[in-house]
Amino acid sequence: MRRPTFLVALPLLAACSGRPPPPATTPPARVVSLAPSITEIVYALGAGDRLVGVCAQCDYPAAAARLPRVGGYLVPSVEAVVAARPDVVLVVPSPGNRDAVRAVEQAGVRVVVVQDRTLADLWASMRAVGAALGLADAGERLVADVQRRLEAVRGRVAGLPPRRVLLVVGHTPLVVAGRGTLQDELVSAAGGVNVAADIGGVWPQISLELVVARAPEVIVDAAMGTEEGRHDLFGGLATVPAVRDGRVVAFAGEAIFRAGPRVPDAARALAAAIHPEAFGAG
Amino acid sequence: MTLRPPYLTARRLAATTAVLAALLMLSIAGAMLVGPVAASLRRALVDPESADRVILFRTRLPRVLLGAVVGGSLGTSGAALQALLANPLACPHLLGISGGAAVGGVLALIAGAEAITAVAPLAAFAGALVAIGVVYLAARAGGRSTPYALLLVGVVFNVLASAAIMLLNVIASYAQAHGVLFWLMGSLSGQSWGLIAAAGAYALAGLAWLAAHAQDLNLLAAGEEGAAELGVDVERARRAVFVAASLLVGAAVSVSGMISFVGLIVPHLIRLVLGADHRLLLPASFLGGAAFLVWADALARTALAPAELPVGVVTALLGGPFFLFLLRRELGRGAS
Repeated sequence: MRRPTFLVALPLLAACSGRPPPPATTPPARVVSLAPSITEIVYALGAGDRLVGVCAQCDYPAAAARLPRVGGYLVPSVEAVVAARPDVVLVVPSPGNRDAVRAVEQAGVRVVVVQDRTLADLWASMRAVGAALGLADAGERLVADVQRRLEAVRGRVAGLPPRRVLLVVGHTPLVVAGRGTLQDELVSAAGGVNVAADIGGVWPQISLELVVARAPEVIVDAAMGTEEGRHDLFGGLATVPAVRDGRVVAFAGEAIFRAGPRVPDAARALAAAIHPEAFGAG
Repeated sequence: MTLRPPYLTARRLAATTAVLAALLMLSIAGAMLVGPVAASLRRALVDPESADRVILFRTRLPRVLLGAVVGGSLGTSGAALQALLANPLACPHLLGISGGAAVGGVLALIAGAEAITAVAPLAAFAGALVAIGVVYLAARAGGRSTPYALLLVGVVFNVLASAAIMLLNVIASYAQAHGVLFWLMGSLSGQSWGLIAAAGAYALAGLAWLAAHAQDLNLLAAGEEGAAELGVDVERARRAVFVAASLLVGAAVSVSGMISFVGLIVPHLIRLVLGADHRLLLPASFLGGAAFLVWADALARTALAPAELPVGVVTALLGGPFFLFLLRRELGRGAS
C-alpha cells in the first residue's frame, strides 16, 4: 500500500544527500560509524567485523559495545576518527558534528552522509551504506526484508479501526511526537492516528490540557520509565479515553528513536500497545 | 538606593501588601481561564464529569499555582540578593545556585530518573545545597564574605556548572540529551500536588525568614560600614540572607528548571513603584513575582497554541530588553 510513496521519495532523497561519494576501487575494509542507527545497519549487512570505531552511543548489537569509541554521536573526535585509519566514515548529519566531519573529510578520509529521520531515510541509508561497503545487493535485500516485516505488522492491524494515539517522549515539559517523525510513521503503521500530527513542529511541546481536548484512545509513553513510585502524569485526566480504559502504555523509548533495522520490532510493539486484542493480549 | 517618602508605616505596609495579594488572587483566577483549549468555568463547576473540569482543575490550576510559588521565590530572592550584593544587576541565577541545581537535576536525568519523578527535583535541590556550601566557603576569607568575592565565586561556579552540563550531555544518549535540553529550558507543567504544596510551604518559610532580616537589608543596602555602626552584625546577617535566598532559588529551580529574569525584573519594578524599603520590597516582590510568572506562563501556553513555548523563553524575551535598559541607565549614572 505504502510502497509507491517510498519509490517516489527515494530519488528526491538521493538528490538531497549531496554529491555522491567518489567510487572506491576495492570495498572498504576499515569502517567507522558515527551514529547508532548506522552501526545497526552495518551489523545487519553482515559487515560488523569491518567496524574499527563507533560513536559512544552505539550500543547495539552487544558486539558494538566492545568496539573502540571515537567520540560522541553529537560531537565526534576528529583525531580519534582519523587515528582509526578508516577507509570510509559513515555519518548522520547534526549541527554538532558538521565541523568535525568536514575536518575528517579534509584529512583525506571518504565520508558517506545518510539521514535518519523518516522511514524513507531508512531505506535510502540502508542502500547507501550497502553501496559504500561494496554490499549493494545485501543493502537491497535488507531493505526488502525490513519492509516485508513492517508490512507484516501493517497486515495484522489492517482490518481494525485506527485508534487515536498520543506518543509522549518527555514529561516536564510535555513533549510529543509530531508530524514528520519516524515515530509518527510507525504509529500509522501500527494502526494508530497521531493526534499531535497537526500541532506544528516535529517535537511539539504541549499543555496537559491539550491531551484532554484531543482525547487520545491510547497514550504511548516513552518517557515514563519503569521505577516504582513514579508520579502518574495522566492519572487525573478521567475524561481521556486512554486513561479511562487503562490504555496508558509505558514504552521503552530508545528503540523507536532509531531509524535502523529494528524498526519493525518497534512497530510491532506499538501495534501491540495500540491494538492489544489483535495480539492475543485482550 | 534611597528611601522614598512617604515613610513606610505599618498601615501602608499592610494596605499595599493586601492590594498586591488581591491582585495575585485575581491573576491566578484570570490565568486559569487562559489556555490553548476553550474551557467553560460554569460547566466545570456544574458537571463533575466534564472535560472542562479536568482541564481547569486538573491541568491548569496546579500549573498556575506552581507558577505563583516559583515566581514568588525568584522575586523575593532576587530582591534580597540585590541588597546583599549591593548590586542592582544581581539575580538569583548569578551566584551559582541554579548552576548547581541544574547539574544535580541533569545527573539524575542521565542516571535514569525521568523528570516526572520526585528524584530529579530532589537531586537538583541537593545540587543547589552543594553549590551554596561551595560558594559560601570559597568566598570566605578571614571570617568574612564580601559581596565582591561572593559574586566572583558564583560566576565561576556557574561557568563550571555549565561546562559540567555540556560534559554530561556529550556522554548522554541522544534521547537523554533531548530530555535534558527541555528540562533546562524550564517548565511549570506536570508536577504533582505534593511537590507543589511542599514548594509552596518552603517558599513562604523562606519569605518569612528573609522578611525578618528586612531592616538589616535596608541598612546593608545603604553601606556596610554604616550598618555595622548602627549595630548590625554584618557577617551574620549576610550569611542568613545568602542562605535563605539561595535555598529559595534552589527549590524553585528544582521544581521548574531555569526560569530566568523573574528575580531581576520584578524587584526593580517594585522598587520603582513602591520604593526600596525591604520590609515592603520583600513581600511585594514575592506577590509581584508570583503574578508575573503566572501571566508569563499563560502567554507561554497560548502564544503558539496548540503548541506551547517554554516559559523560560517568555520570561527571557521580556526580561532581556529590561536588563539592557537597567544597564544603560546604570552606565548613564556612572558617566554623569
